[in-house]
Amino acid sequence: MRLSADDKPAEEPEPLRRSVLSSAAGRLARFAAAKAVRLALLLVSVATLSFVLVSFSPVDPIDAYLGPSILKVSPEQREVIAQRWGLDQPPVERFTRWAANLLQGDFGTSTIFNEPVLTVIVKRFTTSFWLMFAAWTVSGVLGFTLGLLAGAYPASPLDKTISFYAYLMASTPTFWVGMVLLTFFSVHLGWTPVHGAWPAGMAAHDVSLMQRIHHLILPAVTLSLIGVAQIALHTREKTIDVMRSEHALFAMAQGERPLAIVFCRTLRNVALPAVTLQFASLGELFGGAVLAEQVFAYPGLGKATVEAGFRGDVPLLLGLVIFSTVFVFTGNTVADLLYMIVDPRMRRNARKGDR
Amino acid sequence: MHTFARRAGFAGVVLLLLVIGAFPALAQKDTLILAVGGENTEGYDPLLGWGNYGNPLFHSTLFKRDATLNIVPDLATKRQLSADKKVWTITIRDDVQFSDGTPLTAEDVAFTYNKGLEAGGKIDLSPLVKAEATDSRTVKLHLSQPDITFVQHLVTLGIVPRTQYGPAYGRNPVGSGPYKLVRWDEGQQLVVEANERYYGHKPQIKKLVFLFADEDAALAAARAGQVDVLGVPSNLAAQDIGGMRLHVVKSVDNRGLMFPVVPDEGRTTPSGAPIGNDVTADIAIRKAVNYALDRQALVAGVLDGFGRPAYGVVDDLPWDNPAVRFADNDPEKARAILEAAGWKDTDGDGIREKNGRKAEFTIIYNAKDSLRQGLALAASDMLRPVGIHAVPKGENWDRIKTRLTHSQVVVYGFGDHSPLEMYKLYHTPGPDPMYWNAGFYSNPVVDSHLENARSAESFEASIPHWQKAQWDGTTGFTVPGDAAWAWMVNLDHTYFVNKCLDVGTSQMEPHGHGWPITANIVEWTWTCD
Repeated sequence: MRLSADDKPAEEPEPLRRSVLSSAAGRLARFAAAKAVRLALLLVSVATLSFVLVSFSPVDPIDAYLGPSILKVSPEQREVIAQRWGLDQPPVERFTRWAANLLQGDFGTSTIFNEPVLTVIVKRFTTSFWLMFAAWTVSGVLGFTLGLLAGAYPASPLDKTISFYAYLMASTPTFWVGMVLLTFFSVHLGWTPVHGAWPAGMAAHDVSLMQRIHHLILPAVTLSLIGVAQIALHTREKTIDVMRSEHALFAMAQGERPLAIVFCRTLRNVALPAVTLQFASLGELFGGAVLAEQVFAYPGLGKATVEAGFRGDVPLLLGLVIFSTVFVFTGNTVADLLYMIVDPRMRRNARKGDR
Repeated sequence: MHTFARRAGFAGVVLLLLVIGAFPALAQKDTLILAVGGENTEGYDPLLGWGNYGNPLFHSTLFKRDATLNIVPDLATKRQLSADKKVWTITIRDDVQFSDGTPLTAEDVAFTYNKGLEAGGKIDLSPLVKAEATDSRTVKLHLSQPDITFVQHLVTLGIVPRTQYGPAYGRNPVGSGPYKLVRWDEGQQLVVEANERYYGHKPQIKKLVFLFADEDAALAAARAGQVDVLGVPSNLAAQDIGGMRLHVVKSVDNRGLMFPVVPDEGRTTPSGAPIGNDVTADIAIRKAVNYALDRQALVAGVLDGFGRPAYGVVDDLPWDNPAVRFADNDPEKARAILEAAGWKDTDGDGIREKNGRKAEFTIIYNAKDSLRQGLALAASDMLRPVGIHAVPKGENWDRIKTRLTHSQVVVYGFGDHSPLEMYKLYHTPGPDPMYWNAGFYSNPVVDSHLENARSAESFEASIPHWQKAQWDGTTGFTVPGDAAWAWMVNLDHTYFVNKCLDVGTSQMEPHGHGWPITANIVEWTWTCD
């Protein structure tokens, strides 16, 4: 016993470190592999389901495309259009061809924009990105702070004000808030522009950062006002819970002030649901952006989605579905990764191989 | 604390001023901002349908219509139809260049027409077989059969340069029209500048910005003083917008009731939609509806006065037959017609019956269209006193087109600058019925007038035939004849225009899209300093 114990110490550190390292890499690889498989399955099912749903849509893409020109076009010409879009093939044939092209990175051509789907998405997403990013950051930071404050002083006037605001906003439709803000700030006061992502008549490369921000303010504020609600309410609940926990009570007993306890002793506990919510809200952000962009005529992804739906642009619609799936999935994955950083227990569990 | 608040407030104000100051006024005299809708998301490619309502703006056409809709030369100097009426020989000007400096030749014209046949867009060039350039100024268009309505393509199809045309052309259209596209920020705006190589009258307005916004946003922009020309639906026209005046344009954008004219014999279309309606198959019902309607009241009540009564589908167009006008708002006459045809109210419920069938039908309208809803409701009210029970009902547009249109009365809107529309609405339909002539109207005499019109040797010569199809003294599809439809109103198209802008005399506008107000844009002038 002693002998072997004496032998070991000299050698132990090396294999131990290696095993820790390799197990960290292995964990990461396992995590990535599991996620990749899930993403693949998700994409396949989302793509199939959307295609089936779209093929049941009552919107005839050719009618929708022609609009009032429908009267100028004979059945023969409709066939020429159907050929251009491949609509003359049976649905199953169309789906397999679309899926095969997709595997090679070809999303097809948007019928209403007459451009490759990927080009349309990239173009629109760059405009939407800043709007979503601004709204997401502001609503996250502000919502979390308000939630902490409300939770630190439950039932105080401050809490009541914040809760009232949050409940009000949680039950208000985005487009309505947008309209109210638009009417007041743009039409009545004339402070903010009513339309577009930059001033009318200017070229994109001449537009200053200030002008872009000026046009971004109102849509971003609209999205943030709404986005704050959810996260503030959840954070408030969690804060109240944690404030009742033993370690918070102990701190309280030692005479610490509630705000100090919230910020110094409970932040980690409270952050967990907030992080989940913040990243899970990427999906809602997408939906909210659709409405806000519609109201402010902000030419982003949201507006393209609405048009694709109304006008039966199947390739674009499917491209957008795939894109938003990946977008939301990435958000959730980041949340999973952040858990491990924020919460040591999860790290430990993951090491044990429980997950 | 106080000083901190004051400082913070001050900083806030400064920041706000900076942000607002970064947004300069746009009041340059030679730039106009228009919010008249009509973004062509697939690009500005005439071969895919850009400009198929006329005035492609970036392109020029062989002929064009003047303010009174006469066909006048544009790119072409003359046209000639062969003796068998199947070959158009068109001579074009030799001094025309595209906006990039390449000369426009007959080769480009031939290319445009040939390519348009196969492009798969919103234009239908049939019965064109092929186009050939015989020399640099002459092009021959070969048709498979005589068809005078082909003239419409000569008036609307913009000529594209054969060397530049390709898949991305719609986003970078090079043409020979009065303006050229400078930049298109999709979903947002389109910026165009005068084309200095344009061969026609040079426009005074050098730069145009077309804003793409929905109704509310466009109106808000106009109220904020950021728009010079704003298109609004007529229900928003009765208001004041600072610095702007109302500009009302007559149109053939009409609305009417389409009647299924065949009885319900259990037939269905190939896709399974029922065909026929026993009530409206009776000509007495259709005539009574036409006489009972008070069109002037519809204009005043539903259109807020922005429109005029409609008696046919082509009111006030050159091929309109004035003999089809009649005195409406005549419930007495309507009652007399119904009585004579055996429609009598025997059970005293206010609705007439004949052979046990009540004089009852549904008026279907697109539920999203408040104007059509208003017309359906008002028409229903006007029919009640004569003993016809018409139930207005909003439906989904796609369902209307695919399921309901062949068996129900539907509120439709039509109106075009080409009489081909009249042909399609009233000519006996083929085996696979389409959206037009959904009511299966068929009259061999009308058919022959319509066919004679299409095969006429010139557009002028076709006009009497078009008029006879409406009413030739003994029959026709209008109210004196078969009363296949009850046309109700022609809309006015309403615009708010900057008080300093003179937009001249606008052409009578068709139903549909595009920017009809810009038809005479080269004549627009800025009258202030």
